[in-house]
Amino acid sequence: MDPSEVEFLAEKEMVTIVPNFSLDKIYLIGGDLGPFNPGLPVAVPVWLAINLKQRQKCRIIPPEWMDVEKLEEIREQERKEETFTPIPNPYYMELTKLLLNHASDNIPKADEIRTLVKDTWDTRIAKLRLSADSFVSQQEAHARLDNLTLMEINTIGTFLTDSLNHMYKLRTNLQPGKETGKSQDF
Amino acid sequence: MAESLVEMSDSEDESQELMTPAELVTKLEEIWLNEKFSPELLENKSEIVECVMEQLNHMEENLQRVKGVDLRAGVHRMETERIRYVLSSYLRSRLQKIEKYFPHILEKEKSRAEGDPSYLSPEEFAFAKEYLANTETYLKSVALKHMPPNLQAVDLGKSVLKPNLDSFVFLRVKQRQDNILVEPETDEQREYAIDLEEGSQHLMRYRTIAPLVASGAVQLI
Repeated sequence: MDPSEVEFLAEKEMVTIVPNFSLDKIYLIGGDLGPFNPGLPVAVPVWLAINLKQRQKCRIIPPEWMDVEKLEEIREQERKEETFTPIPNPYYMELTKLLLNHASDNIPKADEIRTLVKDTWDTRIAKLRLSADSFVSQQEAHARLDNLTLMEINTIGTFLTDSLNHMYKLRTNLQPGKETGKSQDF
Repeated sequence: MAESLVEMSDSEDESQELMTPAELVTKLEEIWLNEKFSPELLENKSEIVECVMEQLNHMEENLQRVKGVDLRAGVHRMETERIRYVLSSYLRSRLQKIEKYFPHILEKEKSRAEGDPSYLSPEEFAFAKEYLANTETYLKSVALKHMPPNLQAVDLGKSVLKPNLDSFVFLRVKQRQDNILVEPETDEQREYAIDLEEGSQHLMRYRTIAPLVASGAVQLI
């Protein structure tokens, strides 16, 4: 899956904005939004929040977890533990990128947050690489990856499944007399 | 408008499932992801596709009537674009798989029992048959007719790749399942059973969990 498709899914998450215009309730296919009144916070999906921000029609309020102390705690815990710690939002990476790129003026200590999230991401990806390596070398048949986000899974997903499939093909071809019925793979 | 329920009729047992439009869109995204990550062509969900098309057309009609550039119309348009993207990506995945595995898919469709759900919509079936006919004609006219007469037959069922049901897939569990058998990789290992807890994510072979994907108990990610 393309990273932009993971971002597409992340854009459905709700975030609070403060509009500077007024509009009655909107009845979208996916649910109702609004009504919008200047100065009053309202929850909208990220794709709409970003669009409104780009047209200078609102101010975005950072989500609760996008806070320096919280992220520092998470980063420390991630570095200490060998397993993956649960993180506050399943789309933390995408939301950080989207909100910091378009609304950094609405988010206090934006640069620090960017660094903290990147550090946490790097630690998690390093752990993921190690566990993928041991999965392959010990020829496991099953793995449980509860606390991984979609973006992290997607980063190694295609590579991991393709290589596991190749190894399976090589392994089954070693067994004599097995009817494969396969010819060339494009 | 969002309060109205969408009726979906199930052609096999004539039952009608009522879903809100929001649930419909969520369901569309679920089948989109399942189709994307599954190594084989999944059951045809034409009811969902038709309902989504209906919603989109309905919205388009309403938008046509609104004149000028309006904030509200813009928001509706953005949403319909997003839904349209998911729908076309879903249909594109299916077409890619049909093109890749066409002899096996047509075989499966021919041999399925009367009451079983179909894998192809009528349009997809016509597409698959045409693709088969075109491939055969192409091979004949480019190579086969120049071969000695006793070698002019080609068995597409043997020469086209079968979908690899033993591929590994990532999945998230939506309904708890007990005692799923995990087959061993090497000869030294023994098979063991695991329980799939709700909300957990796993990496395993597609073959064992294929029926769970069809029933909606797990979601491929």
